[in-house]
Amino acid sequence: MSFHRILAWGRKPAMAKQSLALTGLLFMSPWILGFILLKLTPILAALAFSFTDFYMLDPYKTQFVGLKNYIDIFRDPAAGASLFGSIGNFLFMVPFQMVVALALAVIASSARLKNKLLLRTLFFLPSIIPAVAIFAIINGLTDQRSGWINLLILEPLNLPSSNLGGLFPVVLALWSIGPTFIIMLSAIQSIPTEIIEAARVDGAGPILRLFKIVLPISSPAIFFSLVINMTNAFGGVVLLDRGMPFSQSLSPMEAYISQQMFSSGRLGYASALAWIMLLMVLTIIIVVFRTARYWVYFPREEDHDDI
Amino acid sequence: MMTSKPKRSYRSTLGLRLWDFTGTAFVNLFVSILLLVYLSPLSYMLVTSVKLHSQLQDGPTAPLWPAESLTYVYDNKERNIYEVPIDGGMRQLALIKGGRTSSDFIDPANPEAGLIHWEGSWRALSKAYVLNVTLNNFVGLWNSIDYLTIIGHTLLVVLISGVGVVCSSIAVAYGMSRFPVPGGRFLFLLIIATIMIPDSILIVPSFVIFTRVLGWFGSYLPMIVPPLFGSAVYIFLLRQKFKSIPRDLDEAAMIDGAGPLQILVLIILPQSIPVVATVALLHFFNTWNELRVASLYLGIRPDLQTMAFTAQSAGGGFGATSELLHTSTVFLLLVPVIVLLISQRFFMQDMIITSSEK
Repeated sequence: MSFHRILAWGRKPAMAKQSLALTGLLFMSPWILGFILLKLTPILAALAFSFTDFYMLDPYKTQFVGLKNYIDIFRDPAAGASLFGSIGNFLFMVPFQMVVALALAVIASSARLKNKLLLRTLFFLPSIIPAVAIFAIINGLTDQRSGWINLLILEPLNLPSSNLGGLFPVVLALWSIGPTFIIMLSAIQSIPTEIIEAARVDGAGPILRLFKIVLPISSPAIFFSLVINMTNAFGGVVLLDRGMPFSQSLSPMEAYISQQMFSSGRLGYASALAWIMLLMVLTIIIVVFRTARYWVYFPREEDHDDI
Repeated sequence: MMTSKPKRSYRSTLGLRLWDFTGTAFVNLFVSILLLVYLSPLSYMLVTSVKLHSQLQDGPTAPLWPAESLTYVYDNKERNIYEVPIDGGMRQLALIKGGRTSSDFIDPANPEAGLIHWEGSWRALSKAYVLNVTLNNFVGLWNSIDYLTIIGHTLLVVLISGVGVVCSSIAVAYGMSRFPVPGGRFLFLLIIATIMIPDSILIVPSFVIFTRVLGWFGSYLPMIVPPLFGSAVYIFLLRQKFKSIPRDLDEAAMIDGAGPLQILVLIILPQSIPVVATVALLHFFNTWNELRVASLYLGIRPDLQTMAFTAQSAGGGFGATSELLHTSTVFLLLVPVIVLLISQRFFMQDMIITSSEK
């Protein structure tokens, strides 16, 4: 039973359905309008810019240059390096965050834990720390001369002091698992206990229950978290924004685009870079959504419009 | 959920209790240690914010805890006190005359005893420190920066854009979850896909449109207007919740003559308060920390700065490790942490990310 069945009483069903569709569209209109104005237009505008030599300081001399910007990208070693840097960052960050958040969620869902609410909040806390603070903290901890890690851990162990700047992405990844952790924790905790009990009675051990019951049932949450983390790895903002400026982005591609745009003022070239990045991200989205049907668990139901 | 309860039928009660207790203690201890390690870097920020500037200038020889180097006034001049290894022990002596191979000190506790001669380079000595927790950084920063106005500005932006983003996201999610819109599945996939569009591609044209066409340079509008159209992730979260609410109630209300808007306000929303609150809180955290748009469009108007922007500029910017930077980030962090702790009962509590929708 739904709206259109009810409305169909005593009316022409086609009419009722049409007016319901119109009402629905009316409710959805803010997003549709926003999509056209804030996403589609800029994306197409960027495409148009990318075929010109649009220069920030001299916008009136803009000329159509055809594919020159795209050809330049292939000749620009810095662009190639940033592209591979972004892919490397993506390949490291996403699996790392997913595994850590999932492991933490499995531990935190233990029935033996006390003060679960506070634990959940405290594990989430670093995810709202602004980027300014994180940079300052990690600089202070990893500094080669006066960093805490060198003075407190490496020196007592007689290890040589070293430059630990490479720890930065690891700390940032660990401190960003908050939303993923909570989403997975909620998914695990919402699994009916009867299912787990039934598996235990049938002799399934903890590991088997984790891989055969808990993970498959929470796979939609895992899929959603995967989408979030992939976006974050490319410098996008989902769910939580800690105010990471473009120039400090962990995605080198994004940092390079912003450098081309704001320091060099080459908007045309920056747009071409951004379009290459968009194509790359779109390819990954399509691949991930295609694979979803093989590992995301959907119970049989009447309307199939879920993730 | 993952730990197994022991099988009660085959074990003695005492052994069972012991087993149960050890397991519980172990799990709790393990998670507590994990949490401590996880949060430990925060201590760096807190400790540095109560340090004196002079201590940070001393570099690696200064202690890690907040401390003040000791001085002693002799001959109307302030002398630094050093830890001097003398007579097989360490003594705190004030340096009077420093030399390359030998130096002269005086004992502040007993200045009448005269100069103490010591062989060695005084530069190799470390200064004597005493614990000194200062709140001057906080007081100084609070006095030099008009935090109340800045917090007011930030809250104003949060409030206007927040009301807008919550209302329109609710409307869109309601439209998606309850009405047979043609192409609804396509629109839903489109929303999910837009989550992943990288910001970099939007920033170039948006910047040109906002500044050249709309003239929004130096105003809050780039922070306020885009959220008014709803946000894809929030729409997704709300839609998942709305879909989980059985339709029987809204059908009953419909028969009683309620319109779609009444059903939303009277039936759907009261059952979705935790999710709506979660969305509002997420938006608050995001806007509070927002730096990309703020630094891009408000850079030329220091009088319109928001909190995150102020924290960055107060401490000398990214990469700086001054005590003021840490103090200003403590200020920046204070409000979100308090909000998070107060709202933990419902923050992200009722988010439904399963595909089993009723």
